[in-house]
Amino acid sequence: MRIEAGARTDLGRVRKNNEDCFQIEPSLQLYVLSDGMGGQAHGEVASNLAVQIIVAYCQQAELSRATPTFGELQPDVSDRTNRLASAIHLANRKVYEMAAANSEQRGMGATIVAAWLDGQKLSLAHVGDSRAYLLRAGSLDQLTGDHSLVAEKVRIGILTPQEADASDLQSVLTRAVGASATVEVDTNEQILLEGDSLLLCSDGLTRMVTDPEIASTLLTSTSAQEAADRLVELANEYGGVDNVSVVVLRVTQKSEGVLERLKIWKRNSG
Amino acid sequence: MPKLVLKFESATMKEVPLGTRPVTIGRAPDNDIPIDNLAVSNYHSRVYVEAGSLVLEDLNSLNGTFLNDIRIERAMIRHGDTILIGKHQVVVDQEHDAALPLDGWRKAPVPRVNETMVLDTQERRKMLEQAAAAGERSQLSPDRLRVPTLTVLRGRTNQKEYRISGKLTVIGHSKMATIRLRGWFTPQIAAQINKHEDGYYLGRGDQLPKINGARIEGLTKLNDGDLIEVGRVQLNFVFRD
Repeated sequence: MRIEAGARTDLGRVRKNNEDCFQIEPSLQLYVLSDGMGGQAHGEVASNLAVQIIVAYCQQAELSRATPTFGELQPDVSDRTNRLASAIHLANRKVYEMAAANSEQRGMGATIVAAWLDGQKLSLAHVGDSRAYLLRAGSLDQLTGDHSLVAEKVRIGILTPQEADASDLQSVLTRAVGASATVEVDTNEQILLEGDSLLLCSDGLTRMVTDPEIASTLLTSTSAQEAADRLVELANEYGGVDNVSVVVLRVTQKSEGVLERLKIWKRNSG
Repeated sequence: MPKLVLKFESATMKEVPLGTRPVTIGRAPDNDIPIDNLAVSNYHSRVYVEAGSLVLEDLNSLNGTFLNDIRIERAMIRHGDTILIGKHQVVVDQEHDAALPLDGWRKAPVPRVNETMVLDTQERRKMLEQAAAAGERSQLSPDRLRVPTLTVLRGRTNQKEYRISGKLTVIGHSKMATIRLRGWFTPQIAAQINKHEDGYYLGRGDQLPKINGARIEGLTKLNDGDLIEVGRVQLNFVFRD
């Protein structure tokens, strides 16, 4: 199994700053994306700081088992997933401390969606409304639940998805990295299969481009980078009202032998 | 005092009283009636009082302002009229008072919808209490407190029954598998069960599993009592107390 990665971030057509950022670390198989918030250039500061801390923590954790953990450990996920959550807890603390120390940065924060692979086992962690999607055998599933006011209201049944889409409160988050002293991190795990595509993205993509369009773009692109470029271009074509960032991972087989192709074909045809 | 009622597909989204000051409608967050939709211009239209009458005026919007389905630039409006802006309707109501007087409403904090913001914990708690009052699903569901189990009805596995405790449960021959399938030619990862916020989802592995006889497409939510088939193995998914 081989992972092919592509990524792109773009200002969009309306905003003056790009508050999004991402980092891909192929040696660690770690992929992190963040959407910052807060006036002036503070959103950029928050998202960049959060991503840097997460990558640095995971590097350290790979080197030494003695690396301390942050936040409450979750008993129902692997050590690696707990490490990833720990990295986000640490990032939260650092961004929060920075905002508290500089009055003009008060209120800055960031979303995070992070994927860390251990062979074919995917650890996923997120805070805020940046998302992870899995495209498998032609069907696209959202793996993360947005921490936004409208999404939480939909989940608890007091708002319909249609009302949520029409709401003027879509930008109100219920969780963000750096917004308070502690944060709750959602985690998830998946076994990735050959032929899968994983997408991490900021809301600048999902507010502009529909799920079926995302699915068909991922399906018809010949490389992960091409898929990333086309998704960003599509968001801009539809108005690009926000910064847009995507990280695309494609799971391919090591050898492109006839037998392997046959296996995939057989699996996908059920 | 007359008011304007913003509606989307018959759901009331906002009420704004009409006073001496013009009321603006548009996509920018500083409008009196902000509508977060791309079909709406930043400052789309406005309503104001002139010589005792209510006047609706289009502010050179891209997609137009419609009064009772007729595109207008400027028109008098009265009780019962419907203004169409994008997919949203604004209904003119001169018979009922708005919930809040104009001054009080102006002072209320208006969220800047274009900028992302985070609710403080107090507001979030309020929302969750509201949800608890509604007595709804997901996190508050009693299923969450019950233990999901898989009982083997048919096939060769290492146990007869499994309690699902992790977020990821792998079914297959692999060492990663919780539900270890035996036998030659058994796939390493036959299928997987993932716990999400609102429940447990079955996903494919090297095989495409069935739920209650039907092959799944994508991640499929498991319900209490579902029958799962993976290759020659049959499992019953049940919540236990």
